[in-house]
Amino acid sequence: MSFSNYKSSRLAALPETLDPAEYDTSPETRRAQAERLAVRARLKREYLLQYNDPNRRGLIENPALLRWTYARTTNVYPNFRPTPKNSLMGALFGIGPLIFLKKLSISLQTKLAGP
Amino acid sequence: MAVARAGLLGIQWPQRAFQNVVPLGAQTASHVTNDMLPVSYPRTPEGWAAAPKKYNMCVEDYEPYPDDGMQYGDYPKLPDRSQHERNPWYSWDQPDLRLNWGEPTHWHLDMYTRNRVDTSPTPVSWNVMCMQLFGFMAFMTFIFWVGDMYPVYQPPGQHSETLSPFKKERKARRGGSSL
Repeated sequence: MSFSNYKSSRLAALPETLDPAEYDTSPETRRAQAERLAVRARLKREYLLQYNDPNRRGLIENPALLRWTYARTTNVYPNFRPTPKNSLMGALFGIGPLIFLKKLSISLQTKLAGP
Repeated sequence: MAVARAGLLGIQWPQRAFQNVVPLGAQTASHVTNDMLPVSYPRTPEGWAAAPKKYNMCVEDYEPYPDDGMQYGDYPKLPDRSQHERNPWYSWDQPDLRLNWGEPTHWHLDMYTRNRVDTSPTPVSWNVMCMQLFGFMAFMTFIFWVGDMYPVYQPPGQHSETLSPFKKERKARRGGSSL
């Protein structure tokens, strides 16, 4: 079969064998792949040097993980800007449930309290 | 002799312990400096050049999330693929997360772990699977609804062979009614 009906989606990726980029052997692609491999090899070497260092006593900290943590926690508010989408989401998922639950509890209390 | 050796070794362990201790204030708790941390969306060419280097990425691969106030800053937008898809046979630095040291981590890494969301290729496309499942469910719902509208029951009554003696006598007294 020279074609496939398979379409990728958010929760189902395209297999590598069906991806035309996998069969791209142009020099630019090859150069980019080599560059990526060089970066990976450098990182691997740095990690293994630390890992196998006989004088190392503690954990090896991962700057990528620290950056990830920082980006998800401390770096969130400085990059916040109120937009229509933000405000709508905040109102819908932040304030909405509070108001709804308060109203619900009040109505339940009045019903249970009786006339 | 053994006691003397033990005494000698007993002196050596505090020395070894002190070799690993550094006087307070001589080094920081972390080797990460301020320029290695994420910042806001890159607006200058210098920012665009520094960001992929900071994240250990190639310049062509670096693509930040769009700057629409959703608080991503200059964090790279990596392909939304879960850790299930990574090669299980490669010797990762962190095998359970299938992650290497220093590798740019996906923003939603905690969602894409191997305990959670899986984006592996499915045997059939997603839309085909949805069509098959919901088509079958819809068809069965329709059939059950039709069955509800036009119920079909067997005619009431029991064959006398299967009745108990009491019921047989009762049936005979009632004149062989079918109830």
